[in-house]
Amino acid sequence: MRYNILFGGEAGQGPNILTHILGEALVNQGYYVFYARDYQSLIRRGHNFNVLTFSDKPINSNDGQIDILVALDENTKKIHKKDLIKKGIILDGKHENMYSAGRLFKILGLDFKILENKFKTLKRRFEENMKEAKEGYANAEKKFDLSPTSKNQNYFANGSQAVAQGAIKSGLDFYYAYPMTPATPVFIELAKQQTKNKFYTFELENEVAVINAAVGSSITGAKTMVGTSGGGFDLMTETFSLIGIANIPMVIYLAQRHGPATGAATYTGQEDLNTARHSGHGEFPKLVVAGGDPTELEELTSQAFYFSQKYKIPSIILSDKHLAESAYTSTTKAKITPSLKSTKLAKYNSKDTDKNQSATSRADMIKANVEKRLQKTIEIIKEAKKFNMYKVYGNKNSNNVIVSWGSPKGAILDAMKGITPCSSKMSDDLKKSSKGAILDATKDLDCKFVQILYIEPFPTEIKKELKGKNLILIENNATAQLGSLIAEKTGIFIENKNKILRYDGRPFLCDELKKEIVRRLG
Amino acid sequence: MTNLSTSAKITWCPKCYNFQILEGVKKVLERKIKSEKDRQKYAIVSGIGCHAKIFDYLNLNGINTLHGRVLPMCLGMKIARPDLTVIGFSGDGDAYAEGMEHLIHTARYNSNFKYIVHNNQVFALTVGQPTPTTEIGFKGKTIPQGVKLPPLNPIKLMLASGATFVARVFADSKQVEYVLKQALKHKGFAFIEVLQPCIIFHPDAGYKEKTYSLEKTKHDKSNFRQAWKKAEEFDYNTIKKIPVGIFYQTKKPVFEEVVK
Repeated sequence: MRYNILFGGEAGQGPNILTHILGEALVNQGYYVFYARDYQSLIRRGHNFNVLTFSDKPINSNDGQIDILVALDENTKKIHKKDLIKKGIILDGKHENMYSAGRLFKILGLDFKILENKFKTLKRRFEENMKEAKEGYANAEKKFDLSPTSKNQNYFANGSQAVAQGAIKSGLDFYYAYPMTPATPVFIELAKQQTKNKFYTFELENEVAVINAAVGSSITGAKTMVGTSGGGFDLMTETFSLIGIANIPMVIYLAQRHGPATGAATYTGQEDLNTARHSGHGEFPKLVVAGGDPTELEELTSQAFYFSQKYKIPSIILSDKHLAESAYTSTTKAKITPSLKSTKLAKYNSKDTDKNQSATSRADMIKANVEKRLQKTIEIIKEAKKFNMYKVYGNKNSNNVIVSWGSPKGAILDAMKGITPCSSKMSDDLKKSSKGAILDATKDLDCKFVQILYIEPFPTEIKKELKGKNLILIENNATAQLGSLIAEKTGIFIENKNKILRYDGRPFLCDELKKEIVRRLG
Repeated sequence: MTNLSTSAKITWCPKCYNFQILEGVKKVLERKIKSEKDRQKYAIVSGIGCHAKIFDYLNLNGINTLHGRVLPMCLGMKIARPDLTVIGFSGDGDAYAEGMEHLIHTARYNSNFKYIVHNNQVFALTVGQPTPTTEIGFKGKTIPQGVKLPPLNPIKLMLASGATFVARVFADSKQVEYVLKQALKHKGFAFIEVLQPCIIFHPDAGYKEKTYSLEKTKHDKSNFRQAWKKAEEFDYNTIKKIPVGIFYQTKKPVFEEVVK
């Protein structure tokens, strides 16, 4: 069982609250929910939509095909009707938002009480919401029976909330940022929780001030973090070099979006892997990690704090708009790596220094300083092996190996799974994709998936997972940046025809990706 | 009284006016710092350029940071440790070129730290290029035709940006000592510009003789209009008379006290 509901309307019409209320209700009923947001860079009008996918089994992505279309405006119907399945349901007409919520609850066979309780927690507009929802509930027919399935204690969170949680649990003292999509949700989440948790968030005049003020705080011993996206990250990189030479702990959250430059500011991409790896001039150690779901992001955030404190280096956490702003159902609690504060106020310097911490240009001192940094890199590589630098899923002995990093994880895991029940059209489509090879669409795909979590240092031991296999690379960029990194670190090259690259600002969709993978299975 | 000297070899040119600034700062701080515990309550930040070497010559914690980034670095330290006395040092390149955006906002934030700008009106360590406060007609290897644009007036800029303590002195240890003492008593951001001729690339064109002390006139430093008028007396281009001392001082909420 796997269904997709699309909520669309103008900005300000409220598809977000509607999506979230339904998502929460389904998670509380024991279902697995994933929803992604597609919104434009505008405040009112335009066309925004969310796709909510739910199932009785774990899922982490949307499909291109829609089962229920909730159209808050006419435009939504025009744009998305083509994606509706034959027997799909359209909920349209000029109604208040919560009218649609009532209708949906009835159609899905959800108890109205859940909605009523939700309205109570919203505090405002209770009477109006109830009236609208009751009307909607009365004017719909029950088509599904989503009664509670199990007593699963699942967590419903997006990637931004996970990063914020990871930072708080790591003992964050200060978070500095300048507003930038899609990094701002972490800022909002932290700002909301600051006083009760005794840390503080600050917005300064630009990203240059942000990273430098963060360094100022960090050298007094505070656990400090900054957050930004591509353009802001570029502005900060000068100071990463300073952090590198002066041995200062710093955690940097980089939420990627489609570029270059302003590109499409509210759309996704994985285009900054190289930017993160190569950020800052000169040679110095750093950590770059990338999570594929909220649980991983929370864990990696705590690891970023751990490495930055222990080795006094910049730690970069990579996410992207899709992961930052999509809500996932997590089944496991994140494992936090605790970190001790390591810095105290002393003399720090952007220059090479001698034993007295005074600037020097002596060749022997420069050489010694460089070698200290090289030694640190070696120690970081050694210690990183204690963590999940990569993960393996699926048939471990398969000849087909998918490699990826970050947010495509959700769609890949879902695409690898068999489809039940499977329509004959879907089965035919897949057979066509697989060039006539016999494929039972209800069975899991015969493949292994290697997900890279540590970009820097890199788990070179993945060589044993990849060598001699039919490799398929999946990335949300045009130049296969992970593919190049794998070649650099392992000497293994992935054939161009086996690179599934999406670079239109949109995330991978499970059903479409499945066809692309099947086409490349050996 | 603690000795704040270090073992670092001083590499300023002999007779550089930076020695005057170092001496003035040292006199004030050595009188205030009586123990190691006191010393831990102070921090300094410097940028890039000749001025920045002062970091090595003062036995105080802090950071010799990147070009132009002295101010946010001071701010971050004050946010994390409001109990620290933080003094930032910059050159005119740091303060008025590379780090200009920070200067305006720092004046507005009014964080309780002190800022000394060593203004020699030239990029000296890179051997003689014009800065935003270099006068019209200045010639150098990168500008053989001479500077054509009028210089910036940092005193007016600071007044317009809302700074709560705006001062300028000549690079004479006694003047530096006097103004820093006053600045340390001030609760909020203190901007101190030191007119510091570069003996190699921008020698003193008679500044010292043209200066007069605001403290010896009837100047009311709480009066913004008077401060503005005094600021206009010297445009950093033509030397007539140069007022030195505290132009303006007022009270405003302090950043680290109001934002948390």
